[in-house]
Amino acid sequence: MDTLHFLLNGFAAAATPANLTFALIGCVLGTLIGVLPGLGPAAGTAILIPITFKLDPTGAIIMLSAIYYGAMYGGTITSVLLNVPGEAASVITCIDGFQMAKQGRGGTALGIAAIGSFIGGTFSTVALVVVATPLSVLALKFGPPEFFALMLFGLCLVTGLAGRSLVAGILMTAVGLLIAMVGIDPVRGAPRFTFGIPDLYDGVGFIPVVMGLFGVAEILITAERPYKEVIKTSLAHLFPSADEWRRSIGAIVRGTGIGFFLGLIPGVGAIIPTFISYIAEKRVSKTPERFGNGAIEGVAGPETANNAYANASMVPLLTLGIPSSPTIAVLMGAFIVNGLQPGPFLFHERPELVWAIIASFFIGNVMLLILNLPLVGLWAKILEVPWQYVCVGTLLFCILGAYSINQSVFDVWLMMIFGIVGYVLRKLDFPMAPAILGLILGPQLEKSLRTSLEMSAGDFMIFLTRPITAALLLLSITVLVVSAFQLTPSQIRQASDE
Amino acid sequence: MKIGWQVGSVCFFALFAFGVWLSLLLPLSDALGPGPGFFPLWLGLIGGVLSVTLFVQVTRQPAGAAGEERLTPDRPAIQRILAVLVLLAAAALVLDPLGFRLTSFFFTALLLPALGVRSLPIIAVFAAASGFGVFHVFYYWLKVPLPIGVFGI
Repeated sequence: MDTLHFLLNGFAAAATPANLTFALIGCVLGTLIGVLPGLGPAAGTAILIPITFKLDPTGAIIMLSAIYYGAMYGGTITSVLLNVPGEAASVITCIDGFQMAKQGRGGTALGIAAIGSFIGGTFSTVALVVVATPLSVLALKFGPPEFFALMLFGLCLVTGLAGRSLVAGILMTAVGLLIAMVGIDPVRGAPRFTFGIPDLYDGVGFIPVVMGLFGVAEILITAERPYKEVIKTSLAHLFPSADEWRRSIGAIVRGTGIGFFLGLIPGVGAIIPTFISYIAEKRVSKTPERFGNGAIEGVAGPETANNAYANASMVPLLTLGIPSSPTIAVLMGAFIVNGLQPGPFLFHERPELVWAIIASFFIGNVMLLILNLPLVGLWAKILEVPWQYVCVGTLLFCILGAYSINQSVFDVWLMMIFGIVGYVLRKLDFPMAPAILGLILGPQLEKSLRTSLEMSAGDFMIFLTRPITAALLLLSITVLVVSAFQLTPSQIRQASDE
Repeated sequence: MKIGWQVGSVCFFALFAFGVWLSLLLPLSDALGPGPGFFPLWLGLIGGVLSVTLFVQVTRQPAGAAGEERLTPDRPAIQRILAVLVLLAAAALVLDPLGFRLTSFFFTALLLPALGVRSLPIIAVFAAASGFGVFHVFYYWLKVPLPIGVFGI
């Protein structure tokens, strides 16, 4: 009853003209970010944080969340029309979406993606409403040892699923954590690794780092290999035929389930649900040979899973304060910039804010459907903007965004340095997500570890004598061991090809 | 790619070794428990071991196993990348003295031709929009504090 009451209050707050406008602007900007190759949701959300500086926290988070899930849909458009994923989660959509576009069925591919995204996103938000309160109540019982173990578990999951080398994944997590050590020690308040530079007293800025690693690095990659021409396809028939509907319904239902349940697990990332959904569709299909040649289920399932995941991944962020992916980590950064710490305390101290954000997910999903079906032709036109203008515009926003966080040129330098680092790491195929999550979780991880050890007078057994902590640590070890033999996204893709 | 991963793991080792050295300059514990150097020290040690492990793993792999992609871009691509980096650095240098409007105007006006845009009217319009339009929207409408330079622009 309380949940329903809070949700209705959330709708009342989210449905004010101002917040509706913020959600609409967020959906438009998010779709634009997703549409423009070379600008992923993590960098896009980070770059647009300055837009929200003068908004109240509720409006700011509503807009940034809308940017996030808008970008998740926008990435589909480039996958279908350009065979270039606008963001990583749309990689799998390229396979059948692009084939559909080549067959003149691009409009249907985008239509089913929009409908699937709407259904997946909406059902996922309903499920979020159901599980969020009990999970946050449970999390309130957590002490520092439990939070330490939980964050470690999240990091292990991200590390294990990040790339082709487990060692490289753990190494990148350690790099992120080490960078997070710069600044004032979170427990004693002493400066650490600051080299007497006042700009480093607040630590290495998360937003400039993300802008560098994802935004500037992506522009450098684009400058090296400019993207391709847009394929000319029919966008006239957005709604699938009766036969296509019949094929898509099951894919949408399965995609919703896969996306939601994987979204609940901190660290899974957006790519895995889409790949699993694709494999599932291929496995259940009576004609698997159609996959790779324009099978509509190959678009409907992964796209639904993608948006179901996007909304479900807010559960660990809002209830536990654990980000599931770099983009969610940026959202967490946005919460922090607005003076809010996501987690169970926020859920209970600022319910009006949390429930307004959750209610805005429902509103945003409707807006995205309205925006994307009739305006798909317009988004396709935007794809024709030459890459040079996208590069320059993105860099300009990176400079603006990095500077405006602290009104400091130091952050612009920081962004540039991390841009070069990100470019090199991307070229070498080192996983970036673990470093980002390590960077944002570092201070809390250290604080909870040290507070736990203070509680136990330095005895590490505190982590083994508390059941939840011990279970989470055991799970973390299991994840790492299993990861050594796991299916990475590239392996899953290989499996799907087979 | 293999040599890239080897160089990468050596760089990471150097980073973690530096972290360990810096951590040892900080108190590792105090009366209340672990000190400021405790966590980064362990992190540095773990990172160092992982860097060595990665180096050994990559070195033992046959050539080409770590990926076949060519790492070095071709000459025009290098020129474009350098143009982006040089102009970014220049923008960071002059942002405070020149202000956002002039910096972004010149940044756009110089970067577009460097990336291959040849139409002067388009460059002029885009540069003006980037410099003055973006400033107007962010500074006056969105109230985002942006630098105003020595010329008052």
